[in-house]
Amino acid sequence: MSKTTITANGQTKNLSLEPRRLLADVLREDFRLSGVHIGCAHGACGACTVHVDGVPRLSCLTFAVQCDGAEINTVESLGGDDAHHLLQRAFREEHGLQCGYCTPGFLMTMAPYVEEMAAQDRMPEDAEIRHAMSGNICRCTGYQSIVAAVRLAITQRRNGESTQ
Amino acid sequence: MNAPIPNLSKRQIGARVQRFEDTRLMSGAAKYIADITLPDMLHLSFVRSQVAHAKILEVDTSMLEDLDYPVQVFTGKDTDGLSLKANQDLPGVQRSEQPLLALDRLRFVGDPAAVVLADDPYLAEDAAELVFIDFDPLPVVATMEQALAEDTTPLFDGWTGNKFVERQMKGGDLEAARAQAAHVIRRTYRNQRQTGVPMEGRGVIADYDKGTRVLTLWSSTQMPHLVRTYICEELGLPESRIRVIAPDVGGGFGVKGQVFADEVLIAWLAIQTGRPVKWVEDRRENLIASIHARDHEHTLEAYVSAEGRLLGLKADISTDVGAYSTFPFTAGGDPGMAAKVMPGPYDFQAYEATFRALATNKCPLGTYRGVGRPSAVFSQERLMDVIAQEIGMDPIEFRLKNVVKEFPYKNVLGFTYDPGSYEESLLKMRELLAEDIKAAEASKASPDSRIGVGIACFIEQTAHGTGDFTKRRSPIETGYISARVEMSTDGEVLIGLGLQSHGQGLETTCAQVAADALGVGPQRVFVRHGDTLTSPYSVGTWGSRGGPLGGGAVHIAANKIADKLRLIAAHILQVADPATIQLDENRASVIGDPARFVPIPELARAALRNVDRLPEGMTPGLTEEFSLDGPKDGTYANAVHAAIVEIDVKTGKMKLRRFVVVEDCGTILNPMIVDGQVRGGVVQGIGSAIMEHMIYDEEGQPLTTTFADYLMPLATEMPEIDVHHIETPTPLTPLGAKGLGEGGAIGPPAAIANAVANALGVEVEATPLNAQAIWRLAKATRSEG
Repeated sequence: MSKTTITANGQTKNLSLEPRRLLADVLREDFRLSGVHIGCAHGACGACTVHVDGVPRLSCLTFAVQCDGAEINTVESLGGDDAHHLLQRAFREEHGLQCGYCTPGFLMTMAPYVEEMAAQDRMPEDAEIRHAMSGNICRCTGYQSIVAAVRLAITQRRNGESTQ
Repeated sequence: MNAPIPNLSKRQIGARVQRFEDTRLMSGAAKYIADITLPDMLHLSFVRSQVAHAKILEVDTSMLEDLDYPVQVFTGKDTDGLSLKANQDLPGVQRSEQPLLALDRLRFVGDPAAVVLADDPYLAEDAAELVFIDFDPLPVVATMEQALAEDTTPLFDGWTGNKFVERQMKGGDLEAARAQAAHVIRRTYRNQRQTGVPMEGRGVIADYDKGTRVLTLWSSTQMPHLVRTYICEELGLPESRIRVIAPDVGGGFGVKGQVFADEVLIAWLAIQTGRPVKWVEDRRENLIASIHARDHEHTLEAYVSAEGRLLGLKADISTDVGAYSTFPFTAGGDPGMAAKVMPGPYDFQAYEATFRALATNKCPLGTYRGVGRPSAVFSQERLMDVIAQEIGMDPIEFRLKNVVKEFPYKNVLGFTYDPGSYEESLLKMRELLAEDIKAAEASKASPDSRIGVGIACFIEQTAHGTGDFTKRRSPIETGYISARVEMSTDGEVLIGLGLQSHGQGLETTCAQVAADALGVGPQRVFVRHGDTLTSPYSVGTWGSRGGPLGGGAVHIAANKIADKLRLIAAHILQVADPATIQLDENRASVIGDPARFVPIPELARAALRNVDRLPEGMTPGLTEEFSLDGPKDGTYANAVHAAIVEIDVKTGKMKLRRFVVVEDCGTILNPMIVDGQVRGGVVQGIGSAIMEHMIYDEEGQPLTTTFADYLMPLATEMPEIDVHHIETPTPLTPLGAKGLGEGGAIGPPAAIANAVANALGVEVEATPLNAQAIWRLAKATRSEG
């Protein structure tokens, strides 16, 4: 067992963990953050994407003990219970989700991308948006509506709308 | 057939209403099966076969005795006598059973022979690795050819050969058609094995309450009531004391549209152990041991007149259905569907199909978006292009000459087609493709890069009713959908829907339908689904019936409540004729005199609490339910798909430049959701056409067991999908809606294959059209250059 301190969505826990436990499992079970979804458990689908110290990471390929001292954010912290983050609102507007299983992963992958484009004050080509989400698999939408949602969110951010 | 199309107010129906389910799905508050935990729960891990075909000598569990934590183990001996039985009651069918755990024989890699239960999922998995299956290998039946060989080893005791079923369908005089034909054109087509891959795998939790003797089972399923009935019948429990709940379900696509042996097993284990038992499928299990799809080979022979009219068609259809017959659609479901739908949108009156389901040592084949139709349409629509070429006609022109134009139309097998837009869709598509066709022609001069345009024209029987199912003599006897609609004292509406929504947006579309009937906003309508306790009996969500039948049932039940509200309002407002009361904007008002109104919540309170305000003799209450069966032959949605491809002749790399859809699903309930269903289906169909391939080696070992090997469409590879609608409401369903969920996946293999054939001037006979396949097909084009 390894003593590990993890902060998830602002809540800090001192945990005693088996080294083999996946970050995804610890977030789901110890923090009760069920928005972390496991799609493949081998790093190929992106459903489990969370932010580790602000950077999107695959929580199914990360051991929780690797995150000692880290600050983690999951989809629960993005826009709260009403899912009111700008990108979530854009997903709702553009029908960027159907079954919703892959959606937390897409949101956590693309939210920093939207910020990056807004910071550059640049609307990327659709091909660039598609490339940015190429580590996430969606089986329902065919991606087109997700691309549209990302484009909408970038437009709104560039127009000065707040993310919340 | 000639019933008038209902005059819908269509204030909410047809509107682009944003989905109510989205908030919880995006906030992390959704509850999928893995998110459910119960106190004192046991976690289950399967011990699965690592060989394709073997006789079990012993399942050795002795190493578990040395563990320093508690485990429980169960093998096939413990579950002896319990099985999944899915047999058609017809001549030409060999009966079979799938034991809950393999007892004497292992029939595919992934076939479970034991389970281990522990307090923690990691520990259950560790322990499962200590269970050894001792076996003697048996000859592996790895291909359809081997299943058909004289000396094949039957998968089941008492069987002759390896056919689950072989039967025929016929209509008209094929000999006469052949005799009249100026052209006889014969081809063989092949579709690969694949799987549906919902992003959430399957999972089951069971909990047995000893006090009430109620078994509660959560399952990531599309058909909770059918799961409930099967458990009742197999385990001998009263159905009244079984509750099956499908929580939020992360995609299904038909994969979760069967009753599985593990659902029965886990129910049994919860009773045996007296503790809740949970199993969450991992991705490897999902890929190798859930449900596979497609894997068809068809030989077609068409008889065509000198003028280019189709006279008749002969089909031979084989499907590799793997090791077990699935419930309720059975091993014969997929090839039977292909045989039934092969006549397609075309007008001809002589047809004969022989179809067979072959048993092999592979994962069982079951339903997946389109069920038999993507394979049938691939063959049918490749053949239409080949015929057009052979007789020197333009492929769209040839189809225009042969599609059904007058409705209702009775097809060669006796199925009646309701009105559609077959000809109009083709004409519209021809307009949309004008520039692409020019670009394709111009590219023929290029030695390096060729553009091709291909179409697929098809119909889809949807929302079919009891009459269609009883003919199959399989354990699915009907296809009706039910809804209970209830208004509470505050005027809010609760719908207990017999469907399960796993991405289709039914919580929104059914609220739209109820809102129009009741004159309340759709946000006042709460749709509960996927729970046998909260809805009347219903077959579940499959077979493209959610909109037409689920929406239809809501419409009828809600209108019964609306009628009662009008009666109460007329009484309170002292109006003689309740027909002069309209329900709108949360009020019941007198038509033409809007100042005279009663708020709907006040009417609801009168119906439920202040019943002294009701007209004399009226029964209190505001709950109505309706079970809506589909039309006997279903209602036929139609579509034309077009793929425009660009091929690098030297490397075989293919780019999808554009994909265009013209579709007709009758009345559109929510255009945003319809477009989403079409686009999502198309992308799955593109996966079928160009990449997805479940590969087995000659020993029956699956080789594509991760997402690194089993390739699916990613965002970067997919084109924009341009969707156009024609709305031909059907007179056969209450809202004029036809089914739509599966259609998107049906056309792409044919459209893309036709586009490749058009680009390279070669015949295309098989999918997947991956880079290797295209490179081989481009050989002749390369040598031209």
